[in-house]
Amino acid sequence: MTILEVNNLKKVYTTRFGGSPVQALANVSFSVEEGEYAAIMGESGSGKTTLLNILASLDKPTSGEVLLKGKGLSTIKEKEISAFRRENLGFVFQDFNLLDTFSLQDNIFLPLVLSGKSYEEMSRRLEPIARKLGIGDILAKYPYEVSGGQKQRCAVARALITKPQLILADEPTGSLDSQSAEGLLRLFKEINLEGQTLLMVTHSVKAASHAKRVLFIKDGEVFHQLYKANMSDEAMYQKISDTLTTMATGGGHHE
Amino acid sequence: MSRFFYPKLAATNLKKNAQTYLPYILTCIGTVMMYYIMVFLSENEGLGKMTGGSEVQTILNLGCYVIAIFSAIFLFYTHSFLIKRRKKEFGLFNILGMEKKHIARVLAIETLYVAVISLGAGLLGGILLSKLIFMVLLKILNFEVPLGFTVSGPALTAVLFLFAGIFLLTLLNTLRQIHLAKPVELLMGGQTGEKEPKTKWLLVVMGTLSLGWGYYISLTTESPLAALNQFFFAVLLVMVGTYCLFTAGSIAVLKLLRRNKGYYYQIRHFTAVAGMMYRMKQNAVGLANICIMATAVLVMVSTTVSLYIGMEDVLRTRYPQHIMISTPVPAQQSVEGLQTSVKEVLAKHGLEGKDRLDYRYAALVGNQEGDRVITDMSNISDDSSSVREFYLIPLEDYNRLAKRRVSLGDDEILIYSSSSKYEEDTLTVLNRTLTVKERLDSFFENNLNRVSISGSYYVVVKDMEVVKAMAEAQDEENGDDPSGYRYYLGFDLEADEADILAVYQDIRTAVGNDYPGSRIESPVAVKESFFAIYGGLFFLGIFLGALFIMATVLIIYYKQVSEGYDDKARFEIMQKVGMSREEVRGSIRSQVLIVFFLPLVAAGIHIAFAFPIITKLLAVLNLTNVGLFAWCTAGTILVFALFYALVYGLTAKVYYRIVSWETF
Ligand SMILES: Nc1ncnc2c1ncn2[C@@H]1O[C@H](COP(=O)(O)OP(=O)(O)O)[C@@H](O)[C@H]1O
Ligand SMILES: [Mg+2]
Repeated sequence: MTILEVNNLKKVYTTRFGGSPVQALANVSFSVEEGEYAAIMGESGSGKTTLLNILASLDKPTSGEVLLKGKGLSTIKEKEISAFRRENLGFVFQDFNLLDTFSLQDNIFLPLVLSGKSYEEMSRRLEPIARKLGIGDILAKYPYEVSGGQKQRCAVARALITKPQLILADEPTGSLDSQSAEGLLRLFKEINLEGQTLLMVTHSVKAASHAKRVLFIKDGEVFHQLYKANMSDEAMYQKISDTLTTMATGGGHHE
Repeated sequence: MSRFFYPKLAATNLKKNAQTYLPYILTCIGTVMMYYIMVFLSENEGLGKMTGGSEVQTILNLGCYVIAIFSAIFLFYTHSFLIKRRKKEFGLFNILGMEKKHIARVLAIETLYVAVISLGAGLLGGILLSKLIFMVLLKILNFEVPLGFTVSGPALTAVLFLFAGIFLLTLLNTLRQIHLAKPVELLMGGQTGEKEPKTKWLLVVMGTLSLGWGYYISLTTESPLAALNQFFFAVLLVMVGTYCLFTAGSIAVLKLLRRNKGYYYQIRHFTAVAGMMYRMKQNAVGLANICIMATAVLVMVSTTVSLYIGMEDVLRTRYPQHIMISTPVPAQQSVEGLQTSVKEVLAKHGLEGKDRLDYRYAALVGNQEGDRVITDMSNISDDSSSVREFYLIPLEDYNRLAKRRVSLGDDEILIYSSSSKYEEDTLTVLNRTLTVKERLDSFFENNLNRVSISGSYYVVVKDMEVVKAMAEAQDEENGDDPSGYRYYLGFDLEADEADILAVYQDIRTAVGNDYPGSRIESPVAVKESFFAIYGGLFFLGIFLGALFIMATVLIIYYKQVSEGYDDKARFEIMQKVGMSREEVRGSIRSQVLIVFFLPLVAAGIHIAFAFPIITKLLAVLNLTNVGLFAWCTAGTILVFALFYALVYGLTAKVYYRIVSWETF
């Protein structure tokens, strides 16, 4: 079943003081099936964050539409959009986006508190997640007291705790050392195996090589895609590298 | 590198940081102006030559010191705030290859710019405004306004020295900070030390006790004399309490709230409690400062305003009759000579004394211990609250003035108390035990304790023999020559002030010669110096009030700005995690409101508790009109609150711009 469908998305940023408009996305279309683990690759500035923000309904496209389980995001009322986002989507960001005023546990609880869940229910939900992510004994700490890897695992816990339809991750390994990055990617793979649908944008070949499918975006359009199928991580890594080289040398792409 | 590189960089830096530097420079200009004007007035020769002018200048001189100290502390404090925000910038310069000595050079030039602009504009403004303020002061003082416009040399020098010193100090402090810091630390700048605050129970307990004690003193102090002694101690206690409770108390309360899971994990409370905890940690000291400053402004302005408005009242309380003569009557002399002199003077002016009041009396001072009074000066205890004045009045005079026909035995007395009732049945004083025949509920209008701030008793004794004997006994005990009894004569006149003044002066010369040691008073004679003193205080109160308000404004502004930068990131995260725009906005707005109005509310509570003790202090200054003071206080609070709200509204705009409210 298709969870996410993106049709002809276009985004043009117009700066407030009459600067020249920037086209971040030209014409992006793709879809994500239930249980999939997809990665979107592109260079810095290619519009990945813009795309993700639109998928997350944090930003509006200039034109085109986004359907989540067949429901158009643009049809949701302004008032309900936050609740919709909270209940259907989970986020993992490059810079963690944990609030420094809350302990890690409270950071993870935040979306549930907003949905009006009781403390007992929240604790019950957190318990297995914390065990799986290995963050049980740092929950009382504050974001500035733990490492980047630990912060990111807490951010993942915050995304998982609402049992979302889809988890969106923006450069989740971007601020991590290679070991923590490796751990996080393994974690993504695990939760995907348990049935969680994941969409990750990244410019790291390493990160992308863990996904089941990789989409390449360039000049604001989906340029190419690769399926991992039965390939090993290493083989996938090689294949992605080759594609990137081809893209960089400008070959293969036609309008 | 070009010769102009550093000056140019310094100018660019100031421009780039205009949002925080502009208010700072404006404040510098403001303080320079105020200091110049204050020194100008306190040094002004014209003012010094006017009657009462020198008293005013003593008060203004005090104002100079207050402004000087305040400016130094305040500019130093705000400047360190500016630098804290700029540390990142310095770190970047450092990493880009500028050495610390180069940064120091840029900073020195920046400081020079700020100093030149502030002193230039401040002095210009000060010189222009000084004439206006001078006229306002003279108007307040009821003095004639002279023509002419002067620039005060001493004031210029004082300003230059003071502010050069302040700017140099702030520069040195900044250089010290830059010098000590490592580049990485500079880059971290504002973000270091966001640790969760610990609950300091000791401080909470100390603060509560301290504040409670301060309030208790204010509520329970009965006598004005004790109030005078205890006031500053109480102020100190309340200040300590305020600091402790703002810093530790707020955190403790929030942590208790957080511990209550059912309460904490609700949408409305969740972000608010955590947010407030963070804000209080960042701002507690600043808020306590605002609170104390606000309280100081309110007390200062409300008291000086009520003294000024109530001046006629005060004058009438202190000098209830137009002419008041109190004279010692030595053993061999009688009072007839005095009465005749007064009669002659009145006849000469064609006037008649009205509501004439005259009686003989003797005063005793001692410590009251139950039914005993210790008059021996060498044995008088330190406890000022038990000091009492006793006025002995012969029955004959009492009966005449009170229009009664009481009779008394040898050792019988009537007693009236101006404060707490005399409860004993006997009174033992100077080896004489007197029996209380009657406790009086009222006494004839007398003018004895106008300047007294301790409790007084009026004791009616059988006759002049008793009065004289006791006065003698007291003199003997203290080893003084016998001073005899005293005689009071007072009356009103139906005449204008000039005539009353003429009568007063004639009586002075006539009586003064025959009766050395006489005290001859008239409200008309002291009116000018009263105006000088109370007007001077009023002026100073308003002037310093304005200065403090300016400081409060600046602190609020800087708080808003720094909060804005911190909050911006937080808003974005909250939205990404699923809070709606309205929820975020509502939560932040209520937190910001709490933070800014907390000091005002706390100041209001302080004032409410300080009210009793301040009324007693005002009684020392002869202002007994509590209603007037209450109105002045309420008015001052209202005006201040309006001002505060206005400032809040204006700075909130800057805040919203920083967090770019409108973009989400
Ligand atoms: N809020 C914005 N206003 C104007 N231009 C923007 C804004 N956000 C991103 N851009 C521009 O859009 C393009 C894509 O940015 P982004 O989506 O952040 O790329 P990526 O995440 O792939 O690095 C860039 O050229 C960027 O400068
Ligand atoms: Mg990006």
